[in-house]
Amino acid sequence: MRFYFHLLLFVMAGLVVAFAPLPVPPIAPQERTFRIDARQFAYSPSELKVNPGDTVTLQLVSTDVVHGLYVDGYDISIEADPGQSATLTFVADKQGSFRFRCNLTCGAMHPFMIGKLTVGTNNWLFRSLGLATLAVFGALISTKQKA
Amino acid sequence: MNRSELLSRIFVITGIILAIGAPLVFWTRTPLIHARMAENGGWNPDIIQAEVGKPLQLKITSDDVVHGFAVGQMDMQSVDILPGKVSEITLNFDKPGIYTFFCTRWCGLNHWRMRGTIEVSGSSSDPEPVSVPLYVTLNLDIDAPHDAPVIPSGQPSAINGQQLVTNLPINQSTDYYRANSPYQVFDELSSAVLTESERWDLVASIWKSNTTPESLANGQQLYAQNCAACHGENGAGDGVFADDLAASGEASMQTMTGAENMMMQSPVDFTNPTRMLGASPALLQGKILRGGMGTGMPMWGSIFTEEQIWDLIAYLYSFQFEYQN
Repeated sequence: MRFYFHLLLFVMAGLVVAFAPLPVPPIAPQERTFRIDARQFAYSPSELKVNPGDTVTLQLVSTDVVHGLYVDGYDISIEADPGQSATLTFVADKQGSFRFRCNLTCGAMHPFMIGKLTVGTNNWLFRSLGLATLAVFGALISTKQKA
Repeated sequence: MNRSELLSRIFVITGIILAIGAPLVFWTRTPLIHARMAENGGWNPDIIQAEVGKPLQLKITSDDVVHGFAVGQMDMQSVDILPGKVSEITLNFDKPGIYTFFCTRWCGLNHWRMRGTIEVSGSSSDPEPVSVPLYVTLNLDIDAPHDAPVIPSGQPSAINGQQLVTNLPINQSTDYYRANSPYQVFDELSSAVLTESERWDLVASIWKSNTTPESLANGQQLYAQNCAACHGENGAGDGVFADDLAASGEASMQTMTGAENMMMQSPVDFTNPTRMLGASPALLQGKILRGGMGTGMPMWGSIFTEEQIWDLIAYLYSFQFEYQN
């Protein structure tokens, strides 16, 4: 009986950690422009941070061969030849961290040409950390009860 | 194993070999062309034989990055050559001769060195006479410095010039425009009772009247695809390869010193009025046709048609002149 009570307690705590709404400080959406230099095999800057709701414009400038840029999660892409820079505008309406990667084979290390777009805070990272801590805590308690 | 079993086995095996082998033989009959960055060998093979009136089938793949394929002076859509994929192209040639094929997607500093030839044999029904480029007819030294001694204080406006041009006897013919630099025309206008800025506006209007919006748009597209990587998207000579060119040119430019050395190594700045207003369209045509003789400037003579070069030149002057309000 006591075991089931504890189990229920942990499940409830887990649900709270996973789904409890966080206080969101209201940030007015703004327009942001990033110029991203692409070369074999890196973007610079490779980490972008924006707030949710921002209108983001990416200018991709390729400095050696034809490169692309594809943003995971948003499913949008552009490609740029050297001398023909390309721009992409989108509204960052999904919160979290997203990989962006080159989607045109640009040489041997092409699969490692990646960057990161962070929209707001990466809540799922902190929630997962909380859940992991809870799991470790639960495991410790259950082993103590048996002993 | 009895006789009939042996026969049926032979029959089945022959069938399988034929089913796999026949398409394979057909596929390998047209050899696969490999495209690599110029530093790693470029096209392989880079000489292709063809015959007039016989369609030429090509299969091309890339071994490293994105390349493109097009044949110079031919009205064709360029074909992208992607690594891991085989692009198939069919070409038809009406006239015999040596055609140049080239890479159309920038694949590095030496992208433009990635060229090859198609040798088309056969007999032509109407051999065309080869026309001599204008800079040869005019006997221009296209390597001589051509700085304009006087430059306008502001950007000359073709609209303002057009209002002046109506009541003046001014030669606006194409031959006159092509053979003279903007500065020469400006100098010849000195007899007219005009201010300096009015004379420059007139020059701009003469330049405008010798082009069309379609030509300018075509020139702009050619510029973006072929020139902007070195000369910069805004013509300022600051393209993404400008620094690399200066670094790699150092070795080949050792006989020159100082400013001349630097001038030869880095791409020309089309927004610089001293250089651009001192250059006639015929001079620019020569430079584009022949290329830079040891600098990073490619020779475009075998790639652009004459019309494409004139369109491009018209666009180059738009870095100097204001054509719209």
